[in-house]
Amino acid sequence: MTTLLDLADIQGGILRAYGRQGFPKARAFFLTVRGDGREGRAFVERLRPLVTTAARWKDPERGEALVRRRAPRLKDVARAEGEADYPGEVTLVKPKVTLNLAFTFYGLLALGVPVRTLRGMPDEFIDGMAQRAEILGDDPFRDKRDPVWRDSSGENRVHIVVMLNAQMEADGTPVAELEAETQRLRDLCGASGGQVVLLAGTGPDGADFQEMSAVLSPGEHGLAATNKEHFGLSDGFGDPVFEGQFPPALEALRVIGGGKLLPDQTWAPLATGEFLLGYPDEAQEVPGAAMPIEFSRNGTFMAYRKLHENVESFATYIRQQGARYAAIHGIPQAEAEATLRAKLVGRWEDGIPLQAAPTHADWLAFQAELAKAKAARDKPKLAALALRYTDFTYRDDLSGTTCPVAAHMRRANPRDMLDPHVTDPDPKAGDGSALVNRRRILRRGLPYGGPSQGGSGRDSGEQGIIFLAICTNLFRQFEFVQQQWMQYGLDFNAGSDTCPLIGNHPKGGSHHDPKLVIAVEPGSGQRPYICNDLPQLVEPRGGDYFFVPSMTALRLIGTGITDPT
Amino acid sequence: MPNLDGGHYFFTAIVPIKNDVIVEHEGLRSSPVHMVREALETLPTALQSPEAVKVGIQSPFARSSRTHFARFVVLDQPFFNGRDHSDAVSDAVHQTDLLIPQANDVLACPYLLVMIDFDPEGPDPARRYCEELWGLMPRELEAVFRFCYGFREVRDGKSFADFLLPCQVETTMPFNDYWIGKPPLSSPSRWLVIAPPALGVALPLLAALFHLVRWPTGLVLALVLGLAGVAVDYWIVMRRGARPLPAAPDATLRHVLKALYLQQAFTRFAIAQQGATLPARGAAFRQFLATHRPADIAGPTQAPGVIGS
Repeated sequence: MTTLLDLADIQGGILRAYGRQGFPKARAFFLTVRGDGREGRAFVERLRPLVTTAARWKDPERGEALVRRRAPRLKDVARAEGEADYPGEVTLVKPKVTLNLAFTFYGLLALGVPVRTLRGMPDEFIDGMAQRAEILGDDPFRDKRDPVWRDSSGENRVHIVVMLNAQMEADGTPVAELEAETQRLRDLCGASGGQVVLLAGTGPDGADFQEMSAVLSPGEHGLAATNKEHFGLSDGFGDPVFEGQFPPALEALRVIGGGKLLPDQTWAPLATGEFLLGYPDEAQEVPGAAMPIEFSRNGTFMAYRKLHENVESFATYIRQQGARYAAIHGIPQAEAEATLRAKLVGRWEDGIPLQAAPTHADWLAFQAELAKAKAARDKPKLAALALRYTDFTYRDDLSGTTCPVAAHMRRANPRDMLDPHVTDPDPKAGDGSALVNRRRILRRGLPYGGPSQGGSGRDSGEQGIIFLAICTNLFRQFEFVQQQWMQYGLDFNAGSDTCPLIGNHPKGGSHHDPKLVIAVEPGSGQRPYICNDLPQLVEPRGGDYFFVPSMTALRLIGTGITDPT
Repeated sequence: MPNLDGGHYFFTAIVPIKNDVIVEHEGLRSSPVHMVREALETLPTALQSPEAVKVGIQSPFARSSRTHFARFVVLDQPFFNGRDHSDAVSDAVHQTDLLIPQANDVLACPYLLVMIDFDPEGPDPARRYCEELWGLMPRELEAVFRFCYGFREVRDGKSFADFLLPCQVETTMPFNDYWIGKPPLSSPSRWLVIAPPALGVALPLLAALFHLVRWPTGLVLALVLGLAGVAVDYWIVMRRGARPLPAAPDATLRHVLKALYLQQAFTRFAIAQQGATLPARGAAFRQFLATHRPADIAGPTQAPGVIGS
């Protein structure tokens, strides 16, 4: 029986990323609550009617064309087949701007949530991200954090994050409603008598909100949002698919390569409880949560991280390594650079995975096939191609000769690679992705900065990704992936080598030179290539852990009537 | 038996800590176990990260080139988790009085659990290692063990071994980490396993067939000797199972350190030679061999106590 979720009780942005729903612009506001919490609760109450949920809305673009400029999407394929959407009546109209709220532990405390409820909160959430710096590998960058995070203590502790996501005009600017909502927030804070304070200091410019925007590129009707980040790589493939997240017809497609791999090599959606509190998780139990259960149910946790990207270092590094790689392999510089980028990530820069197109020639062939299918409006072909972005395993590539075992994508979701029986000659004798299923996170968020918003295109300045990791257990899911798979390489037989893209690359002498080994088939006559001397490409600029309550819990918090007895 | 396994000695000892005195130390009055914990907590650990290598305050065990791992744990009391589960019907039948407290194990004093894995040498490896260790780190050992019963008599390496060895317990679960492939373990042949019970059954039956014994006697003997044959099989299997795992080749600490050193040096060599011509690479490799001397475990090598790979 498929899980049917109470969509109107779940905050928006959890089940589906706003960026993919036509909201490429966003702002994050950080607030602190002072006094006895009365004004803070009133603030929550005033915002509560404006909060966007996961409820379906009437989409003016509902009949959008199947053939898109970007990679084909399974959603389009399912819709084109005329499949029904989530059951139920759709009455809401797609808003211009969405609004969502989440709280730190100290925020809940300041708002007067009872101690008996608070004590049910997990340790890592109580600690907050700054306390967990050592686990996350954030230690070397603590002084580089934005002021809002450096000063997040005492009177200026971040308590609430308000996220606004907005639609975009053709000229690439956000719709006017975004500024109106921003002003409304400022007015609400002003009217609180200094009890609810909008904290300044996001970014070195001291702004009172964190601006975000998808990277834009010229499209048919003005500027269009892309799924690129500032290194020029396509992002956002392969997010986990869990039960209840999608309507059945779409789930059946999305789950292939996105869900969990069963021992018989078929795919199934992950347990809802991995991403929403109050449901059974992959351990087939409902994990303990803050009481009363309606306070936790349909809520989840979110790690907000501002990840600065050293754009110039990345470009320089790829150029230098590309020159050496090109010389050794006797190939053009552009091909060498594209190959190295793909080997670092596990996907070519347009998102086509190495598992689907192992070589540069295969990649060009895939692109040509895609272009042909688009031109012919060949729906079955497009659907088949769309699946190849996610439908792969590593059983045939255990030595990493196609996709390096330590590539970013493979570290983040090793799929069947950690199956103890993966080398069994009978492919249906294993455990599938069982060892990975409790380490999955939903990645939300958007890029920020960049040339269009005052970014320098160099290492300095404002450019990067606002990374939002959503899961029900930050310790087991987000922190594990960050610590064990991104900042360490033992599970991949890569020793202490960290993730080539987002890992820490300290300069501690040649003994600890982080590197990426690009393996080759033994006996192929080729030599492995080692990307060494990796510069620091991504630096955390601060963030925190937030509880994203359900609408029910938001009412309990805002009205101050949480009864844990 | 498993004290010595896979070519390594897995030493385990449980040493009683005094709890019948009050210790006065630097103006502080406290219990002996408090002082033991303090000594352990201030004992430097191995250099486990590049930052720690810069600090350079090294574990005293690194003075030994035979010590793979050393761990100390204070055992306060066994954990008591309430009454044993029982069946209510059974309790009623036996008229068990649930108000009478159930006995639970307690230790008369705290114990210091000592676990050290080292490369054995000589005929009495544990004694020899204890004596050697005393020679390398007497001050640190005294700080840790001074509040244990019987330590007062320790004067030198021999008396330290006399103090520690009576506390040794058999290691039942050694952890071997150096076999990179499957160890060469032989199974008893099928015929060796089949023979004892087969002979036990066959001989009495043959004897009956040739009228050496009567059939009822022969059948009883076949049953008894057949079972005896199974017992012989059990004995063979248990005897084989009790044999220590053979030593992994080149798995002494000095070999391991040299291997770690070579692994890192060769990685740097491979990076530096990417794209080099064949003659240049050959010359560089000859230079590599001359510099790093792969066959020479005496050096150059990784320092003991430094964890890096």
